[in-house]
Amino acid sequence: MSVVLQSLWTAGLASVAAAVFWLLGWRLRRAHLWLSALGLTVGFTILYARILGRPDFPPIDATQWAFWLAWLGLPLGWLAGIGAAYRWVWAWGALLGALWLFVLPFRPLIESGFWTPTVGVAYIVGFGVAAWLLMTLSAPLGDEPGAPAPLLIALLGAVSAGMLFYGGKSASLAQLSGTLGAVVGVGVLIGLLLSRFTLGRGAVALTMMLFVLLWATAHGFASLTLGQLALLYLLALAPALYALPALQRHPARVRLIAPLMILLVIGGGAVGMQYRAYTTQSGDYYSY
Amino acid sequence: MTKRFRTRLWAHWAILATLAGSWQSVQAQPVTYRIDPVHSFIIFRVKHLNTGFAYGRFNTFSGTFVVDERNPGNSSIQMEIDANSVDTGNQQRDDHLRNPDFFNVRQFPKITFQSTRVRKINDTTVEVQGNLTMRGVTRPLTARVTLTGRGRNQRGQEIIGFETTFTIRRSQFGVNYGLNGGLDDEVRVTIAVEGIRQ
Repeated sequence: MSVVLQSLWTAGLASVAAAVFWLLGWRLRRAHLWLSALGLTVGFTILYARILGRPDFPPIDATQWAFWLAWLGLPLGWLAGIGAAYRWVWAWGALLGALWLFVLPFRPLIESGFWTPTVGVAYIVGFGVAAWLLMTLSAPLGDEPGAPAPLLIALLGAVSAGMLFYGGKSASLAQLSGTLGAVVGVGVLIGLLLSRFTLGRGAVALTMMLFVLLWATAHGFASLTLGQLALLYLLALAPALYALPALQRHPARVRLIAPLMILLVIGGGAVGMQYRAYTTQSGDYYSY
Repeated sequence: MTKRFRTRLWAHWAILATLAGSWQSVQAQPVTYRIDPVHSFIIFRVKHLNTGFAYGRFNTFSGTFVVDERNPGNSSIQMEIDANSVDTGNQQRDDHLRNPDFFNVRQFPKITFQSTRVRKINDTTVEVQGNLTMRGVTRPLTARVTLTGRGRNQRGQEIIGFETTFTIRRSQFGVNYGLNGGLDDEVRVTIAVEGIRQ
């Protein structure tokens, strides 16, 4: 089976698993809070296991924490679901949780001497706060009905995959990022069929946390530069524009224009530039 | 031949024999050698897309080995390789090899080998058993090491050369990327070292 077919099969399997949880949660309104984040975790970890194999626990290789953080981050997804009603619980619980989660994968870089303790702590705090902020801003997308919200997140996954592959020079992180977008992308199909379908805040918040984790991993362990990391983070704020309260009086297709353009034009342009630079420098090396 | 000349000849032979004896006793002691990185090489090859072999090398490494000819079991070797020095002649591929898909050099900057047992096979070959640590995973490794020569370098220092070739399975060290058809699991490693007597 070719690599492309394998990726499609893997993404399809993970998407179907996530979709089962999401549809079940959406139908059973009360369970949506729990099943939204759980669907994403199940989908992502199926992806991870099929692409890279099931990692050890605790992982020897720090980049394997992504698999386990999808489970350890589950309470953050649940908190995101109740965050609107309990702001202080979300503010402190999720912030402290995000900070703790980012200690696990990045402590080895301090231990190996790649980062000094001061630099390492600054990075960990920075990643934790950035993830929390993105989760906070993006979570309302989970309440948006229909295909637009998952479409924007899936597009972010595609841009992210391109940047991680051509900029970060990590095929496995790029695969994880792209297929994470593809898992959420199944929401586009469901949204087109069931116009009132929502992903739920938990799934969106957890997806954003995993994106930040993958980008931070690519910066810490692979070749993604700080500039590329910052660009990805800024692009990740684009989908949140769709759910901005100030724009709620406009129809969905109008609200979709700005984030879609940002992701397609700026994100697509950045990936295109990275691709050109990569193919110019690499000779005939295209991974492997 | 005068009696005086014969006496002198015997005296010279006696001195030479004494020197030769002491030389042998020196050689019988365990001797420590430091790996000369300029005249040593670590190369590896792996099959690409089930078609051709891709070759690479590590440019920076260090280590010492002890040679005990009388009792080879007392011989030993330890090596430390800078994983960041991987070189396949293509910058993009080297960057890829350094990142978490392969060596993850920022977390695991060193690859190490420490022998645990050396067994003599014949006059020029020993079997070395030891532990290879890569990406934080330690696995036992056995390799046949062949003596390739002895001599002196331009500074008059005693030097000795060894070579070994062995195969590892990268998946045993957690290097799983591209296993399904991209890159073979088996990696053949050749280490040729020249050691300078300490």
